[in-house]
Amino acid sequence: MEYILFILYPLALVRLRLVLIALAFHGALIVGSAVRYGRIPLIGTHDTLGFLAWSIGVVYLAFGWRRRRDLYSYLTISLILLLLAGSVISPVMKGPLPPVLRTIWFELHVILSFVSYALFAVGAVFGALFLRDGEREHETDQYRNLLLGYVLFSIAMIFGGIWAHLAWGTYWLWTPKELWTTIVWFFYSLYLHARLVRGWTGRPVAWMGIVGFLIVMFTYVGVGLLMKSSHEF
Amino acid sequence: MKNFFLSLKTTVWLLTGLICVFFLGSYLMPAYKDIHGAMNDRLLFEWVEQVAVDHPWVTGWFFLALAALVLLTINTIVCSIQAVRGKWSREDFLLRIAPQVVHMAFLIILLAHLLGAGWGYRISGMLPQGGYGRLPDGRVLQLKAIRVQGDPSGYIRDWSADVAVYESDRETAAGVLGPNAPLFTGGAGIYLKSFELKPTPMAFILVTKDPGAVWALAGAVLFMIGTVIILFLKWKKV
Repeated sequence: MEYILFILYPLALVRLRLVLIALAFHGALIVGSAVRYGRIPLIGTHDTLGFLAWSIGVVYLAFGWRRRRDLYSYLTISLILLLLAGSVISPVMKGPLPPVLRTIWFELHVILSFVSYALFAVGAVFGALFLRDGEREHETDQYRNLLLGYVLFSIAMIFGGIWAHLAWGTYWLWTPKELWTTIVWFFYSLYLHARLVRGWTGRPVAWMGIVGFLIVMFTYVGVGLLMKSSHEF
Repeated sequence: MKNFFLSLKTTVWLLTGLICVFFLGSYLMPAYKDIHGAMNDRLLFEWVEQVAVDHPWVTGWFFLALAALVLLTINTIVCSIQAVRGKWSREDFLLRIAPQVVHMAFLIILLAHLLGAGWGYRISGMLPQGGYGRLPDGRVLQLKAIRVQGDPSGYIRDWSADVAVYESDRETAAGVLGPNAPLFTGGAGIYLKSFELKPTPMAFILVTKDPGAVWALAGAVLFMIGTVIILFLKWKKV
């Protein structure tokens, strides 16, 4: 069923608002998976990549509602299709949640994390648009995406800390994943401060928005593959 | 010197430095597991004293991070003091105070880490069902029973353990431990980490006392309030 998404999402390249069809169908698949397994469908690479693709679609629609078809759509839809491809080739985790993950703090932590990743992704796209045409509006949209993403990411980290305190007796663990999560947080803190420094505004911070998303993707995919951490279940 | 700490450029470069140092740490941690493994098993200051100082080339990233955080703390305090000085008007009150709330929250969270790193305790061990263990504060912990819920396929769906805490032979606290369900009593948290049913039922119990945890939570709540206010104020004012 999810292969249909590879036809539905590109419809946005015809008319941006047609992404609504893809989002509705994709949303129904996610809800269906939640009902089938009786749990939040955010376990494993298959689920999370799919949810990230859907979240990017939602942010894409929210920030592009008034836009015509342009590079914004080409870049974002390409990214969504890439993530979807990663999702469909990844194994599906079936069955209920392991007991340690059965808590609202885990669910909020994961949902907010991936929504913030989606905001960072669309922020990176706006950064690329600004670098191409220098339009102030694109830099503003990038800032809004990254500020909202930063707030949600910070809250996700806090909820993760509460969960860790209840599960492992500490709100902080010294593992590569935690270090990289903090790197992401430091990086976007850096972005928000650098934007206020003369000489850093404009193209440097637009680049930072793009680099930030690469760091996010490495934190999400790379660290899990290359380094052992508490984020393996 | 005051100008150095008052500069936003200092913040930017310190954050850049922290990113580089944490990057280095994330590479060295798995490469030198024997040295870094104990960071999570004991108080951080104990790890520094007993392990880290003997391997400066491997743990140097941690000390660099600590130094950068100290400088960032001074930078944050100096910048915040400067920001709250001067005349205030009703119109820009929230816009001026919200970033300082976030800064204060960040400092409280750092303070929480400091308290947790140097004070409290973290002990763990296997306790047989019905067995007793003495806590560092003199109280006695009893593991009364282990309960496991499985399904016909053999998958363990849930587990829990009944525990009681005694002080001078008098039961002062009792509860059921499980995944994400510790028992908090007397400032300490008692956790069921794992269990074994054979040859005899026993559980791996962790007991921690982290005086920084409450402060971390307070800082986190402040941080959320501050950032959400900034978000609302800045959204339209960009």
